Amino acid sequence: MKRVLHVALREFLATVATRGFLLGILMMPIIVGITIVGVQSIAHQAPPRVQGEVALVDHTGAVSAGVSRYLAPAAIAARRDTEAARVEDALPETLREGDGGIAGAAREGVLAALRDVPELTLVALDPSTDVEEAKRQLVSAEGRRLALVVVHPDSLERKAPDSPFGSYDLFVREKLDDRIVDEIRTGLRETIVELRVSRAGLDRELVEALTWVPWVDSRTVTDRGEEDTNEALNVMLPAAFMLLLFVSVMTGGQALLTTTVEEKSSRVVEVLLSAISPMQLMAGKILGQLCVGFVVMAVYGGMGAAALVSFALLGVIDPWLLLYLVIFYLIAHFVIGSLLAAIGAAVNDMREAQSLMGPVMMVLMIPWLLWMPISRAPSSAFAVAASFVPPINPFVMLIRMASSSPPPLWQVWLSILVGLVSVYAALWFASKVFRVGVLMYGKPPDLRTLVRWVRMA
Amino acid sequence: MIPAIQLSRITKRFGEKIAVRDFDLSVPRGALYGFIGPNGAGKTTTIRIILSILFPDSGEVSVLGRRSALEAKDRIGYLPEERGVYRKMRVASFLTYMARLKGQEGPEVSRKVGSWLERVGLGDTARKRCEELSKGMQQKLQFLAAIVHEPELLVLDEPFSGLDPVNARLLRDLVLEQHGRGATVLFSTHVMTQAEQLCERVVMIDGGRKVLDDTLPGIRRRYTPRAIRFEAADATAEPDPLRALAGVRSLSAQDGGWRLEVHDGHSPSQVLAAAVAAVPAARAELVRPTLEDVFVRIVTGEETRGPGQVELRAALREEADDSP
Repeated sequence: MKRVLHVALREFLATVATRGFLLGILMMPIIVGITIVGVQSIAHQAPPRVQGEVALVDHTGAVSAGVSRYLAPAAIAARRDTEAARVEDALPETLREGDGGIAGAAREGVLAALRDVPELTLVALDPSTDVEEAKRQLVSAEGRRLALVVVHPDSLERKAPDSPFGSYDLFVREKLDDRIVDEIRTGLRETIVELRVSRAGLDRELVEALTWVPWVDSRTVTDRGEEDTNEALNVMLPAAFMLLLFVSVMTGGQALLTTTVEEKSSRVVEVLLSAISPMQLMAGKILGQLCVGFVVMAVYGGMGAAALVSFALLGVIDPWLLLYLVIFYLIAHFVIGSLLAAIGAAVNDMREAQSLMGPVMMVLMIPWLLWMPISRAPSSAFAVAASFVPPINPFVMLIRMASSSPPPLWQVWLSILVGLVSVYAALWFASKVFRVGVLMYGKPPDLRTLVRWVRMA
Repeated sequence: MIPAIQLSRITKRFGEKIAVRDFDLSVPRGALYGFIGPNGAGKTTTIRIILSILFPDSGEVSVLGRRSALEAKDRIGYLPEERGVYRKMRVASFLTYMARLKGQEGPEVSRKVGSWLERVGLGDTARKRCEELSKGMQQKLQFLAAIVHEPELLVLDEPFSGLDPVNARLLRDLVLEQHGRGATVLFSTHVMTQAEQLCERVVMIDGGRKVLDDTLPGIRRRYTPRAIRFEAADATAEPDPLRALAGVRSLSAQDGGWRLEVHDGHSPSQVLAAAVAAVPAARAELVRPTLEDVFVRIVTGEETRGPGQVELRAALREEADDSP
């Protein structure tokens, strides 16, 4: 056992204490950090103030006054202030209070973007204007014209009682900020609706009151009581757990494959086998890479936890879930890791390993395809069945456990039992292939040869 | 005393090919055995069976009194033919790691590692990465990995291949030192001169079968010389009187003298006496068979230096590293 630990220690250090690993594991947080800082500074940087004119060909003769009022800078500023106040109300408490850090910066960014007011002048053109000629001004470099609106004559009153209302055409300059386009659209819609309603002899406020039903947030009822349903979190949390499991398993598994191929191709393996048995070697390597996976899990998991703490959402994670994460990680690592170690032992170099790795990678892609359907319907018959199919059962089970309706405990433990059986089978198969393969050089084995090796060992 | 290695009727197949068949071997404790044979004869397979890296299809193995080398791994040192080092690992760390895998524990391990590295001239490389060492240096390091735990049995598969003469001598001295300490040594080689210089006893394998197992003097006795080397006192003397002697099968010029091959059924010493009487000699002697001669004779079944032997002889003298 002591020797297995020596092998494990070497394996761990040889993987972790390399520039590649440190760079790889730190790269992700660095990229995330840069993105956050970058987005903040972009958000802080107020875009250049938009100035220019909006031309309007009004065939009704009634619309231009309303649109002009709507697009006046003072009116836009007033609307944005209202919007900003609404956003501030809707922000989570932690974001509203914190002045520094991510929370403060994010709030500043959102509010600053809302308060940037464009300066638009409405120019009413004569209805007899040549529209083609007016359009050309949108192309000219020196012109101040940003948009051209042509309001149809029947946009306020129908031509016949059963025909639909007319509308308007909108032409804009290239690369016009879409927020400006939205302002123009909304201005026209508001004005046209206002005029249609009043011409129909109705009260606009009454119509709005009659058609308004608020958006209601759902509340999740559990045996612990009622709580707000956090819909985004319901989808993201299972994904986060699956990702954590996947990254940890793959980091350790990949390294296991690489070091085994290296040991074989550098011919150090037979030197090792003079001191320890192939089983001790494989056990030590799997154990060493298990620790590598735990390091990855701790780093990324820690980052996730830090993010949750900064949003005061740490409470959404059930501590038991972490325990199950570890259990399922152990199962997934032993199954995937031992298969990859066997592949490493069977081939001569990394290129040959790629082709044998294909099927393993394909299987590992399945949880990614299943993530959405399973996190949406964690108790569907399909999800339940997939929880007992190795080697994807640890991934599926974690998705279900982190979802809004966790599976009953018996299913969890049955899945763990299935996992343990699959661990035993994978280790059995891998140990046989490893024992024979690690000293075989030459043509890489096909499936038939592998089966023969298993029989031989 | 129980022999250090005892193989009885070992057979090992790889698919259709029989690598080793009905192989018997008994290496007594403290012996220095050479295991010789051409490439592909089955040496490495036999050694791997001894080390329990491979398992025989039939036959019995006993190593240091155990049924399997796995039970006695800490008492065995093994230098495989396919050998390597961890390229990125530091030299001293590698050796320490190997010592620990062989059950050496405690603070004296690193002291021992340091002193061994000094002894073979690798003292200043202790902090270097293994990949920075030359091939010869790596080979010395691998040899140290096999002996750092002072094993009772040392199995060396082609230990000298790829070494320059200076390092080959250093390694030979180290092997002899281990033997002098009381360790049983079994080493394989396809270079016959190395076996002649080093071993007490030689086991020869060809085509998976044991073809010879004897001490060097025993081999020489068994393979009585059937050739005479003759240098005439008068450099201008004609060889015709010698060619006419009864029992001389052929005569050829060799190194400024002649080589006389003796017919089967005639005594070489009588032919020698007759030759000296016929032509005054500066030097006349029975040719002592080398291990190479014996080997070639066994493998090809011929005594004379026919053209078919040239290639084989070349292979047996080869010093360059030809391991894959």
